Amino acid sequence: MNGLLSLNRKHIFLADDEVVDPKKYLEESCNPKCVKPLLEYQACVKRIQGDDSGHKHCTGQYFDYWQCIDKCVAPKLFTKLK
Amino acid sequence: MVGGGVIQQILRRKLHSQSLTTPVRSWFSSKNAHVEAGSSGVRAFALLGAGVTGLLSFSTVASADEAEHGLACPDYPWPHDGILSSYDHASIRRGHQVYQQVCASCHSMSLISYRDLVGVAYTEEEAKAMAAEIEVVDGPNDEGEMFTRPGKLSDRLPQPYANESAARFANGGAYPPDLSLITKARHNGQNYVFALLTGYRDPPAGISIREGLHYNPYFPGGAIAMPKMLNDEAVEYEDGVPATEAQMGKDVVSFLSWAAEPEMEERKLMGFKWIFLLSLALLQAAYYRRLKWSVLKSRKLVLDVVN
Repeated sequence: MNGLLSLNRKHIFLADDEVVDPKKYLEESCNPKCVKPLLEYQACVKRIQGDDSGHKHCTGQYFDYWQCIDKCVAPKLFTKLK
Repeated sequence: MVGGGVIQQILRRKLHSQSLTTPVRSWFSSKNAHVEAGSSGVRAFALLGAGVTGLLSFSTVASADEAEHGLACPDYPWPHDGILSSYDHASIRRGHQVYQQVCASCHSMSLISYRDLVGVAYTEEEAKAMAAEIEVVDGPNDEGEMFTRPGKLSDRLPQPYANESAARFANGGAYPPDLSLITKARHNGQNYVFALLTGYRDPPAGISIREGLHYNPYFPGGAIAMPKMLNDEAVEYEDGVPATEAQMGKDVVSFLSWAAEPEMEERKLMGFKWIFLLSLALLQAAYYRRLKWSVLKSRKLVLDVVN
């Protein structure tokens, strides 16, 4: 992501005047806080890689990760929106 | 599956203890001893079967449950959440624009009329002009024929499909629900709709969605017929606000919240006023009750014992 990005600014613009969605931006910035569930998810992905039965899936770990991200993003998101 | 092994061990131990007690039982009724010995084997097998099926069904139900209920949505700090907070009417206006340009092609809002928008999101002239853009079928004229006319304020918002069957046919069997009450018709409606609209993501490893459906973790089951509709700058706002996905989501949910609960602001004012007044009345009533009862409560009883 190149351009002017700052958590203090209300509208986030890239140098070429393209608008960045604040939710995506916050989700990325919350990634470091949710490393543990992310690693769990990646471990699960690796575990089921060889599986061909179609019954194995990583929904649980996926949900845990996204729940962590959501909890981090939700209080901050609306301050970035009009 | 480790749990399954443990349960099998426990059941085997139970079987052993049962076989130890059968000689005791046979002492009581020697006639039925051989029957009991045979049935205890069947009983143990039944127990084993029950245990294994119980464990299997439990594990499959637990994992199916998560996707079944959908990912729980977070609580967003809506500007109209407070006890005396009103709607953000600029947001409602933008949200109506999003609805009109993005959602109205599939979703009806048949309980809202153009006149409801006056004073909330548009002036009367603006609402009249918007209504006049649509064609409405009106009742029989003097010659007994139905005719079409431009819309008026009293007309409802136009429906994209004639009926549910037409809607399902045009959308692969899925019915795009009417949105007039959607934020009240779903648990934690406002947060749910916002999370759903902005929550389209790649499915987790191991989950594949069939052609025609899309993955959305917030949707119960995970496979929703509606594709991702909110994309950055899909709409150009009149007031120049950048139309990011999150902005459009917030505005359209504000609009939908208003549509479902247009009385909210009046309700909050009324609630605040009457709770305040009734609290004063409560204090007055409490004082009056204690005043009247003071006569009895300050009685003194004297026991005059005569020996």
